[in-house]
Amino acid sequence: MAAPRSNREFIEACIKSGDAVRIKQEVDWENEAGAIVRRACELEAAAPFMEKIKDYPGFSYFGAPLSTYRRVAISMGMDPESTLPEIGREYLKRTNGEPIAPVVIDRKDAPCKENILKGADVDLCKLPVPLVHEGDGGRYVGTWHAVVTRHPVRGDVNWGMYRQMMWDSRTMSGAVFPFSDLGKALSSFYLPRGETCPFATAIGLSPLAAMAACAPSPIPEPELTGMLAGEPVRLVKCETSDLEVPADAEIILEGEIFPDYQVEEGPFGEYTGYRTSPRDFRVTFRVNCITYRNIATMTISNMGVPQDEGQLLRSFSLGLELEKLLKSQGIPVTGVYMHPRSTHHMMIVGVKPTYSGVAQQIGQLAFGSKLGPWFHMVMVVDDKIDIFNWDEVYHAFCTRCHPANDIHIYRNSPGTSLNPFASPHERKYSIGSKVVFDCLWPTDWDPVNEVPTLVSFKNVYPQDIQDKVTGNWTAYGYPPVK
Amino acid sequence: MNLWEVFVDSEKELLGDAELELTIRTLNPGIHKFTYKRVRCQVSADTKQHADQLQVRLGRGQLSKNRYSIKVLGEVQRMPAKYL
Repeated sequence: MAAPRSNREFIEACIKSGDAVRIKQEVDWENEAGAIVRRACELEAAAPFMEKIKDYPGFSYFGAPLSTYRRVAISMGMDPESTLPEIGREYLKRTNGEPIAPVVIDRKDAPCKENILKGADVDLCKLPVPLVHEGDGGRYVGTWHAVVTRHPVRGDVNWGMYRQMMWDSRTMSGAVFPFSDLGKALSSFYLPRGETCPFATAIGLSPLAAMAACAPSPIPEPELTGMLAGEPVRLVKCETSDLEVPADAEIILEGEIFPDYQVEEGPFGEYTGYRTSPRDFRVTFRVNCITYRNIATMTISNMGVPQDEGQLLRSFSLGLELEKLLKSQGIPVTGVYMHPRSTHHMMIVGVKPTYSGVAQQIGQLAFGSKLGPWFHMVMVVDDKIDIFNWDEVYHAFCTRCHPANDIHIYRNSPGTSLNPFASPHERKYSIGSKVVFDCLWPTDWDPVNEVPTLVSFKNVYPQDIQDKVTGNWTAYGYPPVK
Repeated sequence: MNLWEVFVDSEKELLGDAELELTIRTLNPGIHKFTYKRVRCQVSADTKQHADQLQVRLGRGQLSKNRYSIKVLGEVQRMPAKYL
């Protein structure tokens, strides 16, 4: 099965496998569409494809595109029944190869150019921008999208998923963290020079382009998308700038970011499961051109309590990118997993504990990397623990992590304004704190006489007894074990 | 009659007779619902004082049970002239 090249191919594949449902009755863009997506997320139900939107004939919504591992597998052209370790191995295999450069196509061949609004015709309200949650600070244009910019000096392209709120017909405001690629470009280049920053927002991307925009990989997102898809992503030049955008995207907004003028943004329900960040003055985007496909589909991510694609996909890619980083540094890791229900805050690392201090080494590398601002807990367990089995991880944490010796705290590190536990001051200045939970037996303990023995069916009984008991299990009168 | 909404940290910000400068969003039905304007205005806790009505949300989007009336005196342009 080939990876879907567009959002449309992805929707069709999901409908075919039962992982999306067509909703034919009219849906209100004010709260109702958001509530459908939220409920689908909380039930881990099929993704809603809403074909009729109040006030917006000719547009549709696709919600919760990647909020289950089944849909992640479909997005990669894999069997929806694939297990998480299988999907992870495939991600690592594809993203460890050579970057695949994008191709730029002629604008007449680009579906995203089927309709073009410029000048006085530009009005964001002509798009079915949803009010995602009751009480949000505004209607959010960008919830599952990519903000495309190019570094003014290096020239490398960045696709980032920075939330964008519609402020008025031509203005959006958004949360751009100071440690992000765009945040650093604005503060170090555009603001000092007083120049506006060209941007384009692509909505309704192919799922792998969205995955790339979400992934904290050092590989530029257009190349990363190509690696994930196994073929080049098709780009097309913007109407009003030299930026290039995914040609198969549903909607493109082109414009400029004002580095020295901000308007109010938020509050907004976020992936932490809370409406945390205060309403504040944030980065302002002016839209100068809108292009979109016929019968365009707007993608909606409704973030809140687990699980949505913000949690699932960030957890997925953060874990795998950290695994690549740790292995590149020669750390004897056996696996890295971030459970989506941690709202991508806790990294679980399996390691062969062959030397002392390895847990702190892992924590320092993880928190000191580009990935670090997005999570604040690292739990290190040995290679006997199944990192995907929370029962085993939790048991190790509660029994092996010495309360006085094995909890290592790092203060005044980069964090996000979305951390619910952070003080208002910490949120405003993106100040974080980090913790490592070292759940390894100390390497200076005698492994025979001092390390406790795990008392479990698999660990304490000889294999022949285990085989006899499992073989006779139903004969003893128990129902079969799945 | 227009219906407007404002976000404030405290409703005390709306009290008093002074002219205020607020960022308000329209709640009138239609495709422009929830778009913002920066305005000079007068606000009253008496819902009959002015023709337009104002509802209030607090820091995390909580809707206040109190209603106000508002008179919009004019729009305020905050955007620097170089961007107009």
